Amino acid sequence: MTPLFRFVFDTLDARLRLRGPAREVLNKVFPKHWSFLLGEVALFSFVILVLTGIFLAMFYRPSDDPIVYTGSAELFRGRTLPGAYASIVELSHDVTGGLLFRRIHRGAAYLFVASALAHLLRILLTGAFRRPREVNTHIGTTLLILVIALAYTGQNLVFDLLAGSSLRIGYATLGSVPLIGESLIMAVFGGAYPGQVVPRFFALHVLILPAMLAGLLTLHLVLVARQRHTQFPVKGVDAQRYVVGAPLWPSQFAASTTLALVVGGVLAAFAVLVPWSDFDLHGPLVVGHASNAGHAEWWLFYVQGAITLFPAFDWFFPGFAVTHMFVFGTVLPLGLFGLLYAYPFIERRLADYDADIDNHLCSRPLDVPVRAGLVFAMTTFVTVLTVATTNDVLARGLRVPVEAVMWTFRVGVVALPLLVGWAAYARARAQVRRRQAAKPATVEPSTKVPA
Amino acid sequence: MTDEQGKDPHKGLDVIGTHVPPPSEVNDTIVMGASILAGICAIVFAVGLTLGGPMIVYGSALAVGLLALAVAVRRYFAAAYPDIEGVEPREIPDAEPTRQEDAEPVAEVEPVHRRTVVQRMLIGAAALFGLSLATPVASLGPAPGDTLRRTEWEEGRRLVTPDGEPLRPDDVAVGGISTVWPEDAVEVESSAVILVRLSTGAPRPPTNLDWVVDDDLVAYSKVCTHAGCPVGLFRERDDALFCPCHQSTFDAARGAVPTFGPTARALPQLPMGVDDDGFLVALGDFTEQVGPTFG
Repeated sequence: MTPLFRFVFDTLDARLRLRGPAREVLNKVFPKHWSFLLGEVALFSFVILVLTGIFLAMFYRPSDDPIVYTGSAELFRGRTLPGAYASIVELSHDVTGGLLFRRIHRGAAYLFVASALAHLLRILLTGAFRRPREVNTHIGTTLLILVIALAYTGQNLVFDLLAGSSLRIGYATLGSVPLIGESLIMAVFGGAYPGQVVPRFFALHVLILPAMLAGLLTLHLVLVARQRHTQFPVKGVDAQRYVVGAPLWPSQFAASTTLALVVGGVLAAFAVLVPWSDFDLHGPLVVGHASNAGHAEWWLFYVQGAITLFPAFDWFFPGFAVTHMFVFGTVLPLGLFGLLYAYPFIERRLADYDADIDNHLCSRPLDVPVRAGLVFAMTTFVTVLTVATTNDVLARGLRVPVEAVMWTFRVGVVALPLLVGWAAYARARAQVRRRQAAKPATVEPSTKVPA
Repeated sequence: MTDEQGKDPHKGLDVIGTHVPPPSEVNDTIVMGASILAGICAIVFAVGLTLGGPMIVYGSALAVGLLALAVAVRRYFAAAYPDIEGVEPREIPDAEPTRQEDAEPVAEVEPVHRRTVVQRMLIGAAALFGLSLATPVASLGPAPGDTLRRTEWEEGRRLVTPDGEPLRPDDVAVGGISTVWPEDAVEVESSAVILVRLSTGAPRPPTNLDWVVDDDLVAYSKVCTHAGCPVGLFRERDDALFCPCHQSTFDAARGAVPTFGPTARALPQLPMGVDDDGFLVALGDFTEQVGPTFG
């Protein structure tokens, strides 16, 4: 410790009694495994999103009132554009660093969603959601919903032609809810499409959702610290009762700092090389126009796949209707999240290990057959729906009718999850049987309570 | 096992393995090289962003700099500090644990190989990089130049009403004031002018009498020299202009010098005359700074 640091620390310690807590924090043990870093990547993405987002918010004009663009972008000079879109053209073409920070913001958003999803899969496949971590698992699922809501509001703030279609589908989905659909539209859009969506989404995107996310994220991390980290079995240590790994200082500090710098560096490199978030191709949102190149952002592909693949119906009842858009655009995506919330309890019922004790040990993806079957089946289901979004692109590329591609996916979305889920289940069962035959006393490493 | 050694499981972390890295010249060179690269990138990023250079330059500098800093941090810690493996009990203590203050805390692990030069270069590079990340502030607005000190007034520009109508001297009655704007620049706040027909007779110095029309019609900037409020109130009895915000009072008959209140400067007088068609025109921009004094 340098003399200056020691002086500051001693001064504060004399008043705040920091020595004990600081030691506890710095001594905190972090088990080592690459998959434990996925959540950290999400955390660093969020930090980068906040920093770049502050810069972008200084220039964004949260209004769709038309204004004439007079900046340096030749494509748009003299044209009347929605205010929000015009301010983004201005930010990208007339502000030094504007395009770079926009691209980093977009890249960090992609990485945020991707790493959060990967982190979720890690939690599911290693059984880290089991008692005593059900609460934190549910906080994590809620965080994922917030991440997707942030991504959706953010992509639409651009107010380009893509946002136009994305907003229309959000509008139709909200409106499809029986009985209260139109009231929901009024609550979110404040009127008929596009309504007051720009200021509403701006408030959600820069204020309400980030505040909720930051609060829940803090709670998420506090609970991880309090309950200690899960870990894979360690030779010679009863890892159910002790955490084994590197202390925060210096090892984990070095590892996390390096990771944060790498995440920032890679995002900056991608921003220089990849022109994502450039909008010149799509042009501004024009009421009454949609682009054929339009598609959802990739994290919502599965919803688009669902409302494209599944068959049409509108059922009318006295006073309300139940529609295809409601069932597949609202119930199905929400149902998937419902399943995530319910999963710790589902497995508790189905799995054949002692779920009433605290489980601190990670298991391998195929250690619990029921889990392997369900998680692989659901992941396949979402993946098929995601890929199905590209049906029009595939049909054009393969020179087959789009109807044929659709029917292939319709079969696939039912058959593939069953097939993959069953295969994972069967393999896991065989593996467990083999282990039992080899070591009759051991059931499953993570379920053993030391005597 | 920790328990079997009879240690209090709540005392804190127990070290079960320590690997001390051997000193390495090569590693020091890597850390120093990466630190220098990161420092250079920080400067390129800051300068590129401030001067508005091409994105490929400052964007690449940001990317390379962050990655170089990552290498420096990684290599520095790998060589300077022991690699410790510790265990910590999982139980969440119910009460505050009783910690022995004299116990050797891992938190105070010192580097095994301390090379001051290497450490300082790394810290220097990190600090430089942190500073360079503040330069996007420069993008928030263009360089001001004289844009905030200039107004829309220029030679031959007519004085117009808020509706854009040009004014003749007769349009302002004795003891009357009216707010006027430069033609084609109505409601550009810094150019607001208040036109006064004095009720106490001819203006006296320091009023510039060359800019007075009809011997009693003068024009002053309407923006208060104290804090920038529009000076909107007029007291006919003594030709006093009065600012509603902080009660600064100006004598319109004597070059609008302050007579009361918190402001120190007179309201700048607009060089004013009459053109060939008989309309009021400016003879040029203000010769003093309009509005509050900028630092």
